[in-house]
Amino acid sequence: MKLIKKQIPLAIVFITGVFTLVSYYVPNKTSIDYIETMNKWQNIVVAFAFLLGLVSLFFSHYHKIARKADGWGYSIFVFVGFLTIVISAYVSGGRQMTDAGLTPLGWSFKYIYNALSGTMFAVLAFYIVSTAYRSFRIKSLQAFVLFVAAFILILGKVPLGQIIWDLALGWTGAGVDQVIEWIMQVPAVAGKRGIMIGISIGAIVTSLKIIFGIEKQYMGKD
Amino acid sequence: MLKEQLQKFSRIDRRWIFLLLAITLLVPIIKPIGLPNKTIAEATSRVYGNIEKLPAGSFVLFSLDYDPSTRPELHPMATALVRHAFSRNLRVGVVTYIAGSTGLIEELFARVSKEYNKSDGKDYVILPYMPNILAVMTQMSSDLYGIYTKDRNGIDVRGMPVMKGVKNYKDMSLIVCVTGTAILDYWVAFVGDKYSVPVAGGVTAISQPGYGPYLQTNQLKGLIGGMKGAAEYESLIKQPGKGTSGIDALNLAHLLVLALILTSNIILLIIKYL
Repeated sequence: MKLIKKQIPLAIVFITGVFTLVSYYVPNKTSIDYIETMNKWQNIVVAFAFLLGLVSLFFSHYHKIARKADGWGYSIFVFVGFLTIVISAYVSGGRQMTDAGLTPLGWSFKYIYNALSGTMFAVLAFYIVSTAYRSFRIKSLQAFVLFVAAFILILGKVPLGQIIWDLALGWTGAGVDQVIEWIMQVPAVAGKRGIMIGISIGAIVTSLKIIFGIEKQYMGKD
Repeated sequence: MLKEQLQKFSRIDRRWIFLLLAITLLVPIIKPIGLPNKTIAEATSRVYGNIEKLPAGSFVLFSLDYDPSTRPELHPMATALVRHAFSRNLRVGVVTYIAGSTGLIEELFARVSKEYNKSDGKDYVILPYMPNILAVMTQMSSDLYGIYTKDRNGIDVRGMPVMKGVKNYKDMSLIVCVTGTAILDYWVAFVGDKYSVPVAGGVTAISQPGYGPYLQTNQLKGLIGGMKGAAEYESLIKQPGKGTSGIDALNLAHLLVLALILTSNIILLIIKYL
């Protein structure tokens, strides 16, 4: 049992991981063929993952409706939305536009999905502005530095801000675009580069731990 | 008395702020101010320069990975980029790894291809949505037909004039990714660096600062950032569009945010030291 549940999966991960890693650095026909095969397998696995996700989503919302849990009415819209798009896609043969104009799928995208998605994101703007007023308090030196950087960036990102800068600080000889360029090229890049290097080292270490069987969380608890 | 009033003002009902923002955004949309875009960022000019220097007939791959939520910022820049490519008579291929972007791509090409009299399959091709981004990117390095056999309408892509002589990244002159996600990072790390293909990008304003390291090392051949970047690109190709008209609303909304932050902090200072 241990062989099937533990040793064989670990061996598969080790062999696949090492082969994939090596093929990245050794560009010959065998490694390219191997990568192409793996790509096809990955796409098949992803397709099944989609299906699994869909079934899981349906079960979760079905149970919510059956139990009449809080907000169960919203779960109905999961099925309504899904069926609306799937039926319109089926009727349209998967095409969103033909020479005659929008198909039912194209119409659903333009007038339902487009509008709903845009609205959801637009609402964020209102919360950001409200939060900026209520929460952005300059109570420390770090907060002050953050405020100054944000102030200059926000001001310099719009033409009206640039005009205001020129009127108020034009005498300094430094344009807001030059100041922004310095902020973006020096402190912002330094911080970002540090984060990127940290994340990359973390990812490499985790990958190696998985390949060599040190990290086994992905296999579950059994 | 004043202190109490200021304290009350600092705890103002958020719905008043919502109303103020709504008015601030609506007014310039109804009646545009038309402020000139004074500066053009160097990173934007680099994208323009890279497309401008390509000879006619070169193949440019656009990875348009944004959905309606980031449409206001990214759709204008994608439109400007495609207009530029068509005006230079470049061959255009389009891929996407965001399912929600397919309708936006259809809309964009249906409109812009008519402006330049370009036809599907001859001058451009829209490849279907693919979910597994890294596998697709790796596959395209050897043979893109191993993964893209048909276009989004089910037509065989091998025989299309637009794909003539294009098999993998070596046959592409430039890759431009417009996205509000980390997909541009993938193009840089998994394609640009490894296969020496020039990669440029267009991103939302909020993610723009994160690409500074790639720009400094020239791993990214240029970057268009947010609606201002779109407006800059539109002015470079001399075709004002949604980016230019949207900048007015952005102007006032940005200044409103600054005014609110300043107001709240001045109130805080007065309450503290009064």
